[in-house]
Amino acid sequence: LMEELTLKGITQFYAYVQEKHKVHCLNTLFSKLQINQSIIFCNTAQRVELLAKKITELGYSCYYIHARMSQHFRNRVFHDFRQGHCRNLVCTDLFTRGIDIPSVNVVINFDFPKYAETYLHRIGRSGRYGHLGIAINLITYDDRFALKQIEQQLNTEIKAIPKLIDKRLYVSEYQQEGELDD
Amino acid sequence: NEEAAVPPEGVQDAVFFIFNNLSKINMSTKSEELRRAVPDEFMPWLGQYLVMKRVTTEPNFHQLFVDLMDALNVPRLREIVLQQTFRSIRALLQNMRPDLNDYNDRSLLKNIGHFLGLLTLAKNRPILFDDMDLKGLLLEAYCKGQVEMHYAVPFVARTLEACSLSPVFRPPSPWTMGIVRVLKELHMDKAVKNSLKFEVEILCKKLEINFDQLDPAYYLRDSDRIRQIEVENCL
Repeated sequence: LMEELTLKGITQFYAYVQEKHKVHCLNTLFSKLQINQSIIFCNTAQRVELLAKKITELGYSCYYIHARMSQHFRNRVFHDFRQGHCRNLVCTDLFTRGIDIPSVNVVINFDFPKYAETYLHRIGRSGRYGHLGIAINLITYDDRFALKQIEQQLNTEIKAIPKLIDKRLYVSEYQQEGELDD
Repeated sequence: NEEAAVPPEGVQDAVFFIFNNLSKINMSTKSEELRRAVPDEFMPWLGQYLVMKRVTTEPNFHQLFVDLMDALNVPRLREIVLQQTFRSIRALLQNMRPDLNDYNDRSLLKNIGHFLGLLTLAKNRPILFDDMDLKGLLLEAYCKGQVEMHYAVPFVARTLEACSLSPVFRPPSPWTMGIVRVLKELHMDKAVKNSLKFEVEILCKKLEINFDQLDPAYYLRDSDRIRQIEVENCL
């Protein structure tokens, strides 16, 4: 199953933050990036609910799902998200096949996962024509080893987040422009 | 009007945040927030941002953007957005490189066409000849060649899709049918690529037109008319 997922087309970044600054960091990202739809991952169901509540108060358009909800209800929420009824989805690790929603161009690991397999399931895409996207990992001091380890195990590169992120990396219409420039 | 004043970073951040979180459900609060966040003098910038950054790349939210303009109800912004839409279309057409089949620009153009339709036709508002002559554009592309057609035909088809939403422009509206018949005429030409023919058939399906019974125009083949084309048009 893992082999079918790919990180191709996904540009990965990390940002060092303290736990208490994560929401602030999220705010900054949402004020700088051009997001069509996003998925935000947390490590526990409890944190999903907390974060969803918090950012809804802050004016985000978001739904949430986690493993403790009934499958029927999860399907409903996911369906509505796919339809674009809301812009952002906060969730735990529920995806076993990779995200296949083309309009999701930003994935955020609000909590960094411990295992490479989890990381790949969150960030990886199943399509051969992987749509463009960026993944942003919020890394605390405690995550520093997991970051290096996952990077190694997946043989991929997770770069420090730059001040400005090139739109060509995650807005598909800007892609070929980039190729012409080269 | 060409160079809109760019607002300070704080205003930009607020606008980006609002556009990243806009949805049907929160439309009224977000439109109020947007109204408060953007001082009047930056309306041209807002219109430019909406069309050039959002409309071109987020076709899945086009209806949302049209609804946003209704909710904002700022006539000046509506006019700015409409004019910016035409300007972006002209820019894409004029910058077309006949030597280069630019998939990317074509998809931007298709997206803007779709939005233009929702903004005008779907709301029972005409696309004025002076702003954009769709039939003339097809004729010009037909005379000029394959690459031009790959820009013009999907663009026109996407724009006309919105007619199905309008009591005024839905068939048998003569304005709409006039253009659709030209598309049928184009469809009859053996040299026209299949992908473009599909665009025409899909449009007819959306407009619930019986393609087989549709009469083609005598427009593209009219050699008198071809002689009259002025180069002033878009391509």
